[in-house]
Amino acid sequence: MSVLSSGKKIFFTVEDNLIPNFFLLLQQGFKLKVLVGSSISSLLCDQLSVSPEYLEERIQTIFLDGKPIDDVNSATVKPGSTLALSAALPGLVGATLRKGSYYAPLRSQISHRETDGTQFLHEGIVSLKLFNLLLKELGPKFLKQGLWINGRELSDFFKRQPDDFWAGCKVIEVDGQKVAPERLLEITWQEEYFFLQVLAG
Amino acid sequence: MDKILRIDVGAEGGPKATEEPLGEYAGLGGRALTSAIVSKEVPPLCHPLGEDNKLVIAPGLLSGTTAAMSGRLSVGCKSPLTGTIKEANAGGQAAQVLARLGYSAIVLEGKPKDDTLYKVFINKHGVKITPDNSLKMLGNYDLIDKLKGEYGDRIACISIGPAGEMRLSAASVACTDMELRPTRHAGRGGVGAVMGAKGIKVIVLDETGMRMRSPKNPKKFKEANKVWVEGLRKHPVTGESLPSYGTNVLTNIINEAGAYPTHNFMWGRFEGCSKISGETEAETETARGGEATHGCHRGCVIKCSGIYMNKDGHYLTKQPEYETVWAHGGNCGIDDLDSIAMLDRLDDDYGLDTIEMGATIGVAMEAGLAKFGDAEAAINMVKEVGKGTHLGRILGNGAAVTGKVFGVERVPVVKGQAMPAYDPRGVQGIGVTYATSTMGADHTAGYAIATNILKVGGYVDPLKPEGQIQLSRNLQIATAVIDTAGVCLFIAFAVLDQPDTFQALIDMVNAFYGLSMTADDMTELGKSVLKKERDFNTRAGFTAEHDRLPEYFKKESLPTHNLTFQVKDEELDTLFNW
Repeated sequence: MSVLSSGKKIFFTVEDNLIPNFFLLLQQGFKLKVLVGSSISSLLCDQLSVSPEYLEERIQTIFLDGKPIDDVNSATVKPGSTLALSAALPGLVGATLRKGSYYAPLRSQISHRETDGTQFLHEGIVSLKLFNLLLKELGPKFLKQGLWINGRELSDFFKRQPDDFWAGCKVIEVDGQKVAPERLLEITWQEEYFFLQVLAG
Repeated sequence: MDKILRIDVGAEGGPKATEEPLGEYAGLGGRALTSAIVSKEVPPLCHPLGEDNKLVIAPGLLSGTTAAMSGRLSVGCKSPLTGTIKEANAGGQAAQVLARLGYSAIVLEGKPKDDTLYKVFINKHGVKITPDNSLKMLGNYDLIDKLKGEYGDRIACISIGPAGEMRLSAASVACTDMELRPTRHAGRGGVGAVMGAKGIKVIVLDETGMRMRSPKNPKKFKEANKVWVEGLRKHPVTGESLPSYGTNVLTNIINEAGAYPTHNFMWGRFEGCSKISGETEAETETARGGEATHGCHRGCVIKCSGIYMNKDGHYLTKQPEYETVWAHGGNCGIDDLDSIAMLDRLDDDYGLDTIEMGATIGVAMEAGLAKFGDAEAAINMVKEVGKGTHLGRILGNGAAVTGKVFGVERVPVVKGQAMPAYDPRGVQGIGVTYATSTMGADHTAGYAIATNILKVGGYVDPLKPEGQIQLSRNLQIATAVIDTAGVCLFIAFAVLDQPDTFQALIDMVNAFYGLSMTADDMTELGKSVLKKERDFNTRAGFTAEHDRLPEYFKKESLPTHNLTFQVKDEELDTLFNW
């Protein structure tokens, strides 16, 4: 847990149309403190407030540690796991990777097979990646709740933003202190994790 | 659409055009027609660039109608890249206009008397073939600008760039899009080299005065088309994912699956993938005043393309597709979208297959010609091809030739054609298709069509390993059907999930031609196409030994999953047993 304890807390209030700028960070992955040892469905629905209908219908492709998932109720999230979520995708391989796909035999060698089953729940850290349609549908919620981002990725992200972005940032705070955009760009970002919270308004 | 236009490029006094009825080819369109003509009329052992090869250009059965998504154009011949039969297809406007002009196919045949370059102009009054050496070595963009000045903007063009004129095996045939830009390419297999060998630079199609083709049963056709469009619009892939992000929406996912070929198929993950993903690409296009949602031909309701502007807000190229972004991006270690877009623009201008060129540059980088990740070097290599330097001609002949010249063992090709953007050690079923396709390594040969609805090949038990062979077989059959109808393969997902949408496609064909085909009839049609193609390849000298992935895929593990390609040769050999 200590890896997420030492970093700074960064808070943004930005114009509505700038929220998508942060989606690049959500594709790369962010960390959350959760109760690990649960199934994917339990983690998403019970802990992260994703509705069961949304999980069933909208989140069509799921990877746990790089392996496509067919059964969200049996696959167990462990400490340090990476969970990637996507809507339905085009193409043969897109169809093949979908959960419970008719074409699942085409990727049987890499499919997730649960061996441990549901474990004792305990606090842990997982990485979450959001892709495509889920970025705009789930992304704002996670940004509002707050998430942990690697400092180097955050630094790259800030450096890539155009002047329009900074002009649309109404409030920027680091550890509760208001700062100017230039100050953010001056910070030497390390490989540590920073808590990022972004609100539209 | 009841006639074939044959152009004998070797006739006395210059190329001569003749028209003939469809005859024994009646009822065929798209890939079914190109493969029928090539398999019957082209000697399988002929030289692909010689007198006996033919280039067949055919719109699909539904092209030129109001059917949505019916703008695919098939281009067939004996491939100079693979030596097999070839069908490559493209979007754009050409299929629609050619069909409305009444042609089921254009066949370029014979051998030119000299090196004069010709342009072919077709309108409602007929065909005119004119020598025009001022077009020599023009890039596709300059060529189309020149033709617009000459013929106006109610045209669609089928053309080759310098790569086709140089008869390079990676040369494509370009089709213009709705904005009259040469951005849609029948890319695979060197079809552009065959057009170049026939001495034809461009075919200009003028749609002035032409109308939509009329169905035999307009009411039923209209009803079926309505169901078809509704089905495509309501599905999350064809109605949301593809319009929002294009095919490049796959980058993040294939990377996450550890099957994203990186550094010439060395690894299955690319660190910079989120910088070149479809999500990032769409954001970049929108921010620069381009478009993230755009169709490639009129009548497209999916609109999976887009407009990519450079940093200054000027048009650079159409939205590079997933395969292009992978080939020039992750496969070469390049994570800069602007460089990838520039490579796409150069490929389109010179008339090159983006998959083949990206794979070739990956092989060249492994050979030490440049470092992985060096975008400037990659751009310069493609420019070498455009200039026709000695190095450029090697690269322009594809990954297999480049690997041989520079002594590289790790060359990702089957039957001489570069693999697309999925590592077959990760998604092993697609490796089956790469190995056994009649076309060489081809991702679209076995696409996600409703094989479960078609019931081709019977029930597949997903728990048995032989399911990979059965599924690949079924997918290849079904894809041949879609290529024949001339509809875009991206309909696949909606058809897969929604039986009524698939039925609407059959209903449209039936209503248009006054037929009563069933799903079983469609399956038989697909099988007959594959049988003809397979028979051609057998007569061209191809055996089961050619239906193999390169040896290193069986020996070198893919790091992300520590897997080699595990499907046995004897299993691959059963694919065409039906």
